Amino acid sequence: MTDPLALDPVLPLRERSALPFNDEALDHGDRYRHFEEHVTGGGKVEATDWMPDEYRTAVLRFVEMHANSELMGVLPEREWIMRAPTLRRKLALTAKVQDEVGHAQLLYRVAEDLGKSREAMIQDLLAGKTKFHNVFHYPTYSWADIGIIAWLVDAAAIVAQQALRDSSYAPYARTMKKICWEESVHIMHGRDVVVTMATGTPAQRESIQEALDRWWGPLMQMHGPRSDRAKDRDLHWRIKAKTSEELRQEFLGIYVPRIRELGLTLPDPELRYDEAEGRWLYGEPDWNELRTVVTNHGPRSEARLQFRRDEWAATQWVRDAILGGPRAAVA
Amino acid sequence: MPADRAGGAAEPGVLEPWEVFRQEKDGDPMKHGGSVMAPDATLALHYAREMYSRRQESVHLWVVRRSDIHDLADLDLLQPPLDRSFKKPGGYVMRDKLAAAREASGQAKPKANKGQR
Amino acid sequence: MTDPAAFAPIAMDFDGPGDGRERALALLLLSMADDEFVIGFSDSEWTGIGPILEEDVAISSLAQDELGHAQALYRLLVDVVADGRDPDAWAYDRPPEGYLHARLLDHHRGDWATTIARRYLYDTADAVRLEALAASTHAPLAELVAKIRREERYHLMHVQTWIERLADAGGESRERLLAALAAMGPDAGTVLAPLPAEAAIVRHGIMAEPFAALEERWRDGVGATFRRLGLPGLPVTRDPGTARSGHSDAFRALHAELTMVRRSEAGATW
Repeated sequence: MTDPLALDPVLPLRERSALPFNDEALDHGDRYRHFEEHVTGGGKVEATDWMPDEYRTAVLRFVEMHANSELMGVLPEREWIMRAPTLRRKLALTAKVQDEVGHAQLLYRVAEDLGKSREAMIQDLLAGKTKFHNVFHYPTYSWADIGIIAWLVDAAAIVAQQALRDSSYAPYARTMKKICWEESVHIMHGRDVVVTMATGTPAQRESIQEALDRWWGPLMQMHGPRSDRAKDRDLHWRIKAKTSEELRQEFLGIYVPRIRELGLTLPDPELRYDEAEGRWLYGEPDWNELRTVVTNHGPRSEARLQFRRDEWAATQWVRDAILGGPRAAVA
Repeated sequence: MPADRAGGAAEPGVLEPWEVFRQEKDGDPMKHGGSVMAPDATLALHYAREMYSRRQESVHLWVVRRSDIHDLADLDLLQPPLDRSFKKPGGYVMRDKLAAAREASGQAKPKANKGQR
Repeated sequence: MTDPAAFAPIAMDFDGPGDGRERALALLLLSMADDEFVIGFSDSEWTGIGPILEEDVAISSLAQDELGHAQALYRLLVDVVADGRDPDAWAYDRPPEGYLHARLLDHHRGDWATTIARRYLYDTADAVRLEALAASTHAPLAELVAKIRREERYHLMHVQTWIERLADAGGESRERLLAALAAMGPDAGTVLAPLPAEAAIVRHGIMAEPFAALEERWRDGVGATFRRLGLPGLPVTRDPGTARSGHSDAFRALHAELTMVRRSEAGATW
């Protein structure tokens, strides 16, 4: 876990600005109060601003887990890059996984500027000290999984990411704009794979339904248990804008009809939209499973982490070579 | 910056951040896009291309070593507090004076004439 | 001269009418398309596990570029052969022995030094081949080659940067590069080994010069770079008669994986 004391700002602080919390003449309590007022009032924070340790740590933890998830999220789909059944699918999947690596880069850059080095973040991830999202701890069994992941896992993620475009931490908000723009194509790719299989041979259709049945539980858990808005520090600091339940409702509202129009069924007999309550009702997701999985006890947690450790070790010499070798002239 | 750093890493063993500026289309200004980690300018440019134009979203890229950027955010210098309205068009309010002049000359208010002041 | 019998089972199983121009053209297109297809697969194995995140994204772009070139070349082939097979059928529905890629590309993906060495040897040879096709009498090929060459410029810049770094870094880096070059060096010349249809290819102006002339020019260029970097010169091509046939177990394993989903439901739309 991140030690706040280790988080010295890596960028020089602004000497002065109109924002009162940047005023070094004030004592910590006043600066904290001004900062809190600024952020809760909708103000944005830049990497060069003064910020209390609580905020810096909270943003870092949030962004770091997001970055970890992009990096680990590469692995389930990567297994199928070599198996994609047509040239176009091969190109699309390679490009999608590439984007996820790119998003990891963008997010680690945001986190790095908060004071923790990329190397330290990767070491913590590999050591199991930091977390990544639940959906990336599960195995993939078929090409249908690739369709379901690209469509629905990405859709659930994009619902959350769109809400992050308003994050109080401006470098993160800007990064989310770029990421959302790039991700929109993933959902199209995934939906196209699913629709093609759902309208394909009986075996393809069965395969898609089977994958959907397997992924539905993790998808319902993905945004996390319902939480108390008042107690959520990430909401307080406006690092994020919406609660887990708001995100889940949004996801269900858009995607349940789109799944059902394909003639696919969802493995939750209680799932329905309640007009009177104006929200989706659903069977209680298995929160024990979520806790087990995100603490790296999921079905593929250890295997994926070990794979990452092995690959990271196998390329250490390359990093050493480009950093330690004779200086090349600038082109 | 020490002169011997040209083209090399700041400290051995550490990739350095390079800020990336991109022009989206011909005629646009260069805008900050983000940053990449790289050991030198050559790879920084390769990586800027990958991170900021792999969907052909740029027509021109710059990379600048972050440590070569000099920062000015001092509001006493940038936003001095005393009146500078004489430097801005909004500092010249003559509506009432023009109305008085028109009244004196018996002329109507001219119609909006785009392209002329 | 590459042994024509090695190509007989698959590559020559379409009827080329007339004086052999179509057949020669098809053989050239298929060999080039398969080269790009197979190196694209090797490179795409790095997606998600590259040595630096930024480099991971870069190698993935190279893979996509090569696969895009393969797709475009298969399309040209489809127009020439016109036997009902589409580009995907050409790319995926042949047995391993039906592929005509050069033996250089038969090596396992290997470590980063192997990847850089393979990319360097292939890209430099491919650049010479593309140059010789720039004024091809087959206009669709000349047009495509003009576009491919614009993309390959970046590939050459990228791989040049890396081979210099790996060679200059010394220590483990240089040793790994030397090991990769020792393993692949004898196969490097297979990219420009003469095709059985070479006489027709040149006679019809599909390619400006015979392969031997291309290979000589390529060896001069690579030799100069290697001398500058203190790397040993490239050996002569081992067993040029099977330059594009008799593929390795590494390729057979790759082929089994890349056709896995497609074979699972033959004839389905994906």
